[in-house]
Amino acid sequence: MTGAATNIKPMQPAKKKSIWKTLWDQKWLMVMSIPVLLYVMLFNYYPLWGWRYAFQNLDISTIKKGADWIGFGNFKWLFNEKYFWLGFRNTLAMSVINLVFGTLASILLAILLNEVRNRGFKRTVQTVTYLPHFLSMVIVVGMAQNMFVSDGPVNQMLLAAKIIDQPVWWLGEGKYFWFLVGLINIWKEVGWNSIIYISTMTSIDPTLYEAAAIDGAGRFQRILNVTLPGIKSTFVVLLIMNIGHLMEAGFELQYLLGNKQVYDFSQTLDVFVLEYGIQNNKYGRAIAAGMFKSVIGIILLFAANFVAKKLDEDTLL
Amino acid sequence: MRKIIAAILALAMILSLCSFAVAEQEPITVTVFRGDPGDQPTEDNKIYKMIEEQFGIKFEIEFLAGDLDETLGTKIAGEDYPDLFDGGNSAEKLINAGALINLLDYINEESTPNLWNHIKDLLPQLVNENGELFIIPNYGINYNAQIQMACNGPAFFIQKQVLAWDNYPQIKTLDQYFDLIERFIAANPTDENGAKYEGFAILCEDWRHFCLINPVQHLMGQPNEGEVYINRTADENGIYAVETFIDKPYAKAYYAKLNEAYNKGLINPDTFTMTYDQYIAKLSAGTVLGMFDQTWDFGTATAALETAGMYKNTYIALPLVYDESYGFGTISEQYLNGAVPNKDRGFGISVNCEYPERMIQLFEALLSDEWQKILQWGIEGEDYYVENGRMLMTQEQYSQRNDATWKMANTALTIWESAPKKQGTQDDGNAWAPADQGENYFALMSDYDKEFLTAYGYLKPADFFNAPCELAPWGEAWQIDKAPIQDDYDKFLLIQDQQLPKIIMSADQAELDTNWDAFVTEIAPYAQIYTDFMQAEVTKLVEQTAE
Amino acid sequence: MTSVTYNKKAKKPMQQDVVFPIVNGIILCILMFVTLFPVVNTVAISFNDGIDAVRGGIGLWPRKFSTEAYNTLLSDKLTWNAFGISVARTVITTILNLFFTSMLAFALSRKEYVFRKFITLAVVLTMYVNAGLIPNFLLIHRTLKLSKTFWVYIIPTMFSCFNMIVIRTYIQGLPEALAESARIDGANDMRIFWQIIFPLCTPVLATVALFVAVGSWNQWFDTQLYNGGKKYLHTLQYLLKMKLATSMNTANAANASVDALASQAAAKSTPVTIRCAITVVSALPILLVYPFLQRYFVTGMVLGGVKG
Repeated sequence: MTGAATNIKPMQPAKKKSIWKTLWDQKWLMVMSIPVLLYVMLFNYYPLWGWRYAFQNLDISTIKKGADWIGFGNFKWLFNEKYFWLGFRNTLAMSVINLVFGTLASILLAILLNEVRNRGFKRTVQTVTYLPHFLSMVIVVGMAQNMFVSDGPVNQMLLAAKIIDQPVWWLGEGKYFWFLVGLINIWKEVGWNSIIYISTMTSIDPTLYEAAAIDGAGRFQRILNVTLPGIKSTFVVLLIMNIGHLMEAGFELQYLLGNKQVYDFSQTLDVFVLEYGIQNNKYGRAIAAGMFKSVIGIILLFAANFVAKKLDEDTLL
Repeated sequence: MRKIIAAILALAMILSLCSFAVAEQEPITVTVFRGDPGDQPTEDNKIYKMIEEQFGIKFEIEFLAGDLDETLGTKIAGEDYPDLFDGGNSAEKLINAGALINLLDYINEESTPNLWNHIKDLLPQLVNENGELFIIPNYGINYNAQIQMACNGPAFFIQKQVLAWDNYPQIKTLDQYFDLIERFIAANPTDENGAKYEGFAILCEDWRHFCLINPVQHLMGQPNEGEVYINRTADENGIYAVETFIDKPYAKAYYAKLNEAYNKGLINPDTFTMTYDQYIAKLSAGTVLGMFDQTWDFGTATAALETAGMYKNTYIALPLVYDESYGFGTISEQYLNGAVPNKDRGFGISVNCEYPERMIQLFEALLSDEWQKILQWGIEGEDYYVENGRMLMTQEQYSQRNDATWKMANTALTIWESAPKKQGTQDDGNAWAPADQGENYFALMSDYDKEFLTAYGYLKPADFFNAPCELAPWGEAWQIDKAPIQDDYDKFLLIQDQQLPKIIMSADQAELDTNWDAFVTEIAPYAQIYTDFMQAEVTKLVEQTAE
Repeated sequence: MTSVTYNKKAKKPMQQDVVFPIVNGIILCILMFVTLFPVVNTVAISFNDGIDAVRGGIGLWPRKFSTEAYNTLLSDKLTWNAFGISVARTVITTILNLFFTSMLAFALSRKEYVFRKFITLAVVLTMYVNAGLIPNFLLIHRTLKLSKTFWVYIIPTMFSCFNMIVIRTYIQGLPEALAESARIDGANDMRIFWQIIFPLCTPVLATVALFVAVGSWNQWFDTQLYNGGKKYLHTLQYLLKMKLATSMNTANAANASVDALASQAAAKSTPVTIRCAITVVSALPILLVYPFLQRYFVTGMVLGGVKG
């Protein structure tokens, strides 16, 4: 760290600088970071005291007079519950599908848009593709259900194209559920998620494109050698962040699109927490499940960050 | 000078009197939570204005927006209670959490005669083990004669045109019902617009799965007890035997019948995945010929069909039972039950409320005949008129009651729905509910419906049914709070939701048998827990009522 | 300026491949159609007659035209009030959030900052640890007593870690020389940030402003938790949620079987047209923000200029 400081202030001899002097030099940086630090202490860390409930039998009848400590009872209950593990599996599966296909789709859209020269068209596409982000899940799912019913447009199209010879029961068979969720998520969020890549691409130095063009690089080579490296650090940071979020596969979409026929595939951890914790007011269990999610998330985060460091990429931490 | 002094004195006296009167009726704003979604009444709502003028009470209402249990849970955790607290379908949580005050500390014959008369006969059923009462039922307390114009609850439904097509037959059994639907579809595969008819729909979405799991009890001649079959004659020990019906052979017969219908193409597999919105859309389009449901559940569809003039596609409720060929004996239908007090549903007064006495006096006053008329019928001359002592409505007055915007400005619906109310018949013979008033009902009925009923020689849709039976000592068993066995109860329902559609979609008899046996085995432990629990609760209720 | 030169120069290779722009255009048009359809469908339903719409099957144009849903909504004073609250919370939150978030982002982008690692870790972890609904509720409701006030919309949303990282990543990509020369001139970190770095961050700040604004606008849960009983503090999204609630709400009745009387209330459902109309009404204002911010996305030239 002192080394970095030396680079910036080459006038001063690095070795002699005391820690107090460094701190004094950085007083403005501290002023700039202390408000937020206090803020997260209050709003994010202080409530973690509530995690103690994970070890208590907190529910509606004990919430006021105080619950009893039950050790790992809530965790034991969770780990013995079939739907907790199904929820875990489904969460992971849907998150990975979302992460992989969602990221690819938004980068692809950003690149395609970046290649558009007509400003008006570019803006129109951008605006239109991000519209679905503003539709409520209730409405989106309602439409998706009408599309995918047995005699709905999707089956009719596939039948007409002779891809299938029997209507597919899209909504009733568990094996399709994860991909339906992936599809709807991509459709709804691809425009929105590409915004960050599009805005990153604007910061790519145009002279790099010019240089590549002069070197005789074709369009795909320019994308490959200029655009992609230009968004790499954003991509890596987002990827690390999202890997930490793999335990959050969403909630509303699965809750609305799911039905009891596909229950074993639609149940995510969040739905599980709602149905088995919140709705019957077993708060202890709900908080235990939340703790479990947090711990897994942090492990994934550090693992991803570690791998990125090893690969000498930008890291989050 | 004297005059002036006298005037000042007089003025001072008047002022002090005024301020005294004001002090007694000091204007307050009462916070209210409703466990249902709803719309805020308008600022100049005429009924709330009257309430404010007379009682000095204004309401600040919160409606449910998200998940009910989550909302109640946070309110309980933060002790963030409104003054008047309606916990909707989870109100027992408020009681369990100690959020409500015991109303019996305030209700007695002298100070609150209306409320006392309202509940005194039902008290043994309504109070808990400690003799406390936290919520006065918002529905189900009848005065004088109970009025039953139509079946409001569970039944098998069929489009009126199907019956008309077959020359208005009497359909009494399950087999007759499916036979008729099958013949109708064979003769009329599509409607006049070419849309395919669907024989029988089964709504399975979430809590509305009662369309899937509840019919069997009715086919066996029992009113709605939820998920149990209760022997209505006690054994020698005075115990009414309780059993789950879904895992019994007499349930298999029903799902086998549905399987038969499924394989004949009368049931669409999408029925098991459809949402409530899709269901309503299908019904409103007039392409579903029959279903098991409860009348209120598809009111939106009925309204849509009537507005479109598609009266022949509206539904009539039928009380079906198994015929003798099933080997369950001769079953007499009993779909209609006596009035069930809606136990633990409605307003409670929270422990945070600063003026419980005034709240009780408000409900006491609102339960008077004058206020009940205002709340249920409106203002005479504006919302209804009186002719020869009968309370009547014009077509316009009647139909504006279905207009959401009008209701928000002209009724105190939000408070009325959760408050104790009079139902049945007034002392002068008028009905308490405008919809129950015979003249209104018949005058406003469509010509198609009149013709339809005349063809059967009936006056009202309820004539298809036997008269309501007397309410059992335990009320209706579905009202029992399952919180103590919640986890097992949830599993019990989940297995039904998952397995019954599989059984219905079985390809042949052998697969059906396998699926059924697997289902019975899987559900057995949970059914046992549930049965034991319900048996104990029912017995407890019977004893409590007997005291 | 530079982008113009870029276009001119880039034209040469572009003339060689005409296929790509066409294919690209077609792909994007298909995508537009696919995303636009449901949106147009929603608008079409909102302009349809209420009872007729229940039957479904409405495509890109209303079957039975009616502005009834909009009349109902817009004649309600509460809708306008909610609109005002939504705008106020969005504007204030966006400004405060950008202020605190970007300031921290700058501090954490300084490699020499002693507490950089510690603060980064402390802040990043907040994205992954969540105390759960009840503890958070108790903090805001009981400890801070923010419920039933407007401030509950502002104070808990003044910082966003995700956005901090987005800005930090961007700042790290800026040429180090900028800050360096300012420092040699004797400027302190605060001045370096506000006078040099902040103006250069316009594209990323526009992006983050969009994220914050949309996030704040779309928030309804805080209204439900803290201000459900205060109708003059309701937001548009909360009203939307209320109208949509009819299809979700009674999910809670799962535990109780249902009786005709008990659930008469459940049978009243908001007409699908109103649901669609309020979707349009609640989305439209925030949709207008994006085209407005879009212009700031095309400022890559500033950077190029500095580097050149």
